[in-house]
Amino acid sequence: MAQVPLHGSLIVSDWHRCKDSKEYFCKILHKKRRKNFGLLESPVMPPQAAVDTVHYKIFITGKSGVGKTALAARLAGLNIPNIHHETTGIETTVAYWPVKLRESGRVLFFRLQLWDCGENALRRFDHLLPSCKEQVDAVLFLFSFTDRTSFDDLSNQITKWSGPSVSRVVKLVVGTKFDLFMHCDVAERDVRDFQATWNLPVLRTGGEVSDGLGDVAPLLNCLAENLWHQDCVTASQRFQEETVTVL
Amino acid sequence: MMLQDGSTQLLCLTASSGVPLFSRGTSKQLPFSVIGSLNGVHMFGGGQGTVLSCCETEGGGKVIWRVFQDSVMLIAVSGGGQGGPGSSKEEVVRLQRLLENVWNCMVLVLGQDELANVRNVERLKRDLRSCFSLIDQLLEDRQEGILGSLTHCADCLLPPNPTLVQQAVDGFAQAADSEFGCLIVHGRIAAATEKWWRLAPQEVVLLSALIRFLSASGSTSCDYPVFLPHGSPTVAHRLLRFQLLPGADVCVLCGPTPSLHKAETGLVCRFWSPVVETLRECLTVGERCLPGSVSLRPDVMALLLINRETRRSVSCVKTSTHHPPGDPPLPSKSRCWELLKLFYMFSMSRYFAQEETLCVSQEERTQRGTTEDFVLGFSHQPQQCYLVTEECKSYGLQTPQHQLFLLIVPSVPTFALRTVATQTLSDIVSVTGF
Ligand SMILES: Nc1nc2c(ncn2[C@@H]2O[C@H](COP(=O)(O)OP(=O)(O)OP(=O)(O)O)[C@@H](O)[C@H]2O)c(=O)[nH]1
Ligand SMILES: [Mg+2]
Repeated sequence: MAQVPLHGSLIVSDWHRCKDSKEYFCKILHKKRRKNFGLLESPVMPPQAAVDTVHYKIFITGKSGVGKTALAARLAGLNIPNIHHETTGIETTVAYWPVKLRESGRVLFFRLQLWDCGENALRRFDHLLPSCKEQVDAVLFLFSFTDRTSFDDLSNQITKWSGPSVSRVVKLVVGTKFDLFMHCDVAERDVRDFQATWNLPVLRTGGEVSDGLGDVAPLLNCLAENLWHQDCVTASQRFQEETVTVL
Repeated sequence: MMLQDGSTQLLCLTASSGVPLFSRGTSKQLPFSVIGSLNGVHMFGGGQGTVLSCCETEGGGKVIWRVFQDSVMLIAVSGGGQGGPGSSKEEVVRLQRLLENVWNCMVLVLGQDELANVRNVERLKRDLRSCFSLIDQLLEDRQEGILGSLTHCADCLLPPNPTLVQQAVDGFAQAADSEFGCLIVHGRIAAATEKWWRLAPQEVVLLSALIRFLSASGSTSCDYPVFLPHGSPTVAHRLLRFQLLPGADVCVLCGPTPSLHKAETGLVCRFWSPVVETLRECLTVGERCLPGSVSLRPDVMALLLINRETRRSVSCVKTSTHHPPGDPPLPSKSRCWELLKLFYMFSMSRYFAQEETLCVSQEERTQRGTTEDFVLGFSHQPQQCYLVTEECKSYGLQTPQHQLFLLIVPSVPTFALRTVATQTLSDIVSVTGF
């Protein structure tokens, strides 16, 4: 099992609260809301402050109704659907997120493309899953705090993503509907046990969207940190392999 | 009637046994007993060798039935009443179109096989849930300025620089191994490949509705399996959609390749980056739908222009209209859209012939019989009609190529309406070639 970086060891957590992040975060905001970028656009910094953008493909998986579409919308700052309309195919959503690396102080824009596919559509059409898996960098396994079966099914789901071909794929678990504590069906202890067994980060989401950054920052930072960590691991492995062949 | 005024409820049952499959529309559902009776009375008619297709209640409510593929029955119930949208004939036209559109939606998402051969009712019920987003959109019919579900003509936007966007659409579609491509700006078709226009008019309208829905969510790209209700009801194609700029989406209908990932990373920027400024110009055309080079007369408040041959339409409501001080205020923008729709239905249900190229249902044709009887009562086909109300004056004009519906400020003398209409038509056609 891949090593998970310690939270906040690679990137500055809560950087969106620091003053020096302002010039970067204002590029992803418009009138105090997250800006929607088409495929022909991206956040642009002035030439003297130009930063690199790193691209990632993230697949969101979980039972119908757990909140995949809602999570993608939340992370990108779009309107969150309040009634459940099944997603009948693949929809991708792009979230740009500025990150400051702890060691070098270097700033990067993470371009996180979230791939959301309705669970029933996946079952009806065979070609959708391979398309979601093509060149994927991370998987978010979703369960809902109000639906026990979605939690119990996690192990099954994760096992499907444990072969050598997908060993480099970053894996995170997200519990949705954490705001509906009155209907909570998954105890805190179960989550802790699960985390101990699988050694995967478990994040929680739900509730009103407040200022557009604060409520999504922990999840986006965690995702970015894990992706960056995986890139570093892959790069150093490749370096070692190359050194071996040269020798 | 048990429904609120002006609201519509949609019921779907299995045709053979009357098992309810779903109901959509108003929050206050019809009681089960009423649904049962609605089904029962239709079945009774069937037993007597008649097809019950439409009835009207004392309070002005309406019920329309229609069975599709001998398998699924759709019933539309509208509340009628004082605030109801227009008189009885117009409402019937609207509801018939609605049922046809809903059926097409169901085929688009699920394919005809699953709907025509119901093996497992519970499973069908579950699968039908995936159609609700589109069906709800049809029922709400909220987006102002989109008239396609009513006219069965594609809502279009005429870009200021049509050649450039046309080339980009053609090139992009070809590179994506597709003959079907289109560019949608503000929910309206700005350019499309020739083959896209050869799809059935209802398919073009339905795909536009789907794309608008997907685009409104703000997502970046999509890969949606779709069945074409007329062209390919049993084999799904892939609808790929890419948001180029917020408000501008390009779509292609594909087979198994290319994958969404490949098309997005390999083709989108290659074909569309060079024309990004042209796209921005298209976006500024906005709801007006007509390029700035077309100047409309100041007394025109709103217009709907249909090209009868190509089944395309452009429509707009002007925000600033010439208006002498002291006159009563002109109707609001949203009221203008409503009046335009009503006048369209008024003209079509009374005077103008509908296009026979449409795949019209048997029922709709029977219903239309009464209109045709009325029309046949004249020695000529009406080519123009007008209506004067307190809010505005309306004028409809028909030529072999076009149909034009205009709302005009009330201060224009009635005898001058025809001149306003013919001039508006020639102004638009001469500049845009629409
Ligand atoms: N209160 C609360 N509701 C949520 C949350 N996440 C999702 N929902 C609601 O749950 C319902 C289903 O969410 P979706 O995101 O549409 O579900 P999905 O996983 O995309 O489902 P499929 O597309 O069918 O696979 C919607 O009504 C959402 O509003 C959450 O964190 N809190
Ligand atoms: Mg969904």
